[in-house]
Amino acid sequence: MTDHAQLIQACARGDTASLRSIMEAEGGRMLGVAKRMLRRVDLAEDAVQDSFVIIWQRAGQFDQTRGAAKGWLYTILRNRCLTMLRNNIWEIPTETEIMERLQDSDIIAEAYDRLDSSSDLRRCLDGLDDTKRSAVLLAYVLGYSHGEIAGRVQAPLGSIKAWVRRGLAQLRACLS
Amino acid sequence: MTDNRPIEERVDEVVIGLADPAECESITRLAETDPEVAALLDRARLRYGELDDTAEPVALPDDMWDRVAAALDSDVEDTEPVPATTVVPFLRPTPSPKLLWTSITSVAASLLLAVALGWMLMSRVEPTVIAVLVNDAGNPVALVEGTEDNTTRITLLGPTTVPEGRIMQVWTKPDADGPPVSLGILDRVESTQLGAEGLPTPSVNQLYEITFEQKGGSPTGLPIGPIHGKGLAQQPL
Repeated sequence: MTDHAQLIQACARGDTASLRSIMEAEGGRMLGVAKRMLRRVDLAEDAVQDSFVIIWQRAGQFDQTRGAAKGWLYTILRNRCLTMLRNNIWEIPTETEIMERLQDSDIIAEAYDRLDSSSDLRRCLDGLDDTKRSAVLLAYVLGYSHGEIAGRVQAPLGSIKAWVRRGLAQLRACLS
Repeated sequence: MTDNRPIEERVDEVVIGLADPAECESITRLAETDPEVAALLDRARLRYGELDDTAEPVALPDDMWDRVAAALDSDVEDTEPVPATTVVPFLRPTPSPKLLWTSITSVAASLLLAVALGWMLMSRVEPTVIAVLVNDAGNPVALVEGTEDNTTRITLLGPTTVPEGRIMQVWTKPDADGPPVSLGILDRVESTQLGAEGLPTPSVNQLYEITFEQKGGSPTGLPIGPIHGKGLAQQPL
């Protein structure tokens, strides 16, 4: 199993082979995460490319005692994707660039279904009502903002914020 | 503003992507100095990170490493200093004027109820352009009339079957080289008038398109659903 922390530390020492090893180990999954959020392969590839550059630039700041290496890597990727989503960096899509035309509800249902059956997160998500569960999943899996969730489920923004907070509180209580 | 909220809640919102950039930065700063906040962040990432593992891996393009290697000396990020922490702040938004239309119409799409007016209520204004939208089979499915003030009348033609759980969304490309922008949503199968502000007067050869999108409209602000019909505008004589 790849030791991501050691590889990140090697990147900090200027070892590009280690960066490549991280890319080989996690790049495919990272592209999958980015594609799911950004819906377009070309944008997802840009996000992954940018993320590896950021990983390289920030490797010296990685502190193993403060958090897991994998979480650090995916946080960089997710933040890059969210920045692209929030900045609306869309250009004209061509037919081949447009992702499989799946609906959001299918994508979040798939993510939920793929959680390991023994997963605490899954068990605790089970305990949420549909609206709260959807809101949390739309935010995490698809990078929806509060406003986008409100539009999606046709509810006022204030209600969505309250539901999400209650949902997160329920999840924390369940997961602790 | 939100500082009196429980730190756990704020951390969770950062991790699931619902915090704004300022809040992300604020939590980042806290985590730098407070190991407990850093631990909360790590735990939340670990929990929700299970969802990242549910994404189907996608093969990287062959040239990905070359692209990354070529960019290593570049400056992807802003030049602002990055705090020494495992927390990664959001990058500062850099609004791009060329994206203005997209932004405006994304908002317009989310305010669909405000812009969709009944056919009966409209005051008849002579159209500047007319487009007949045809489907893949070449059959006309809608007539689009665009007026000078960008009121767009949509007359649906023939039987129209909207896939379960979807709505119709109307798009146009005011700039042939620019992105498509949403004119609004038809959540019922009936002829409708849509109003869009801030767009240039429609012109000849402007593309119009109707797609089937999820309820509430395309989440990306761009057409991603199947195309019902499309066509180029012409000037009525």
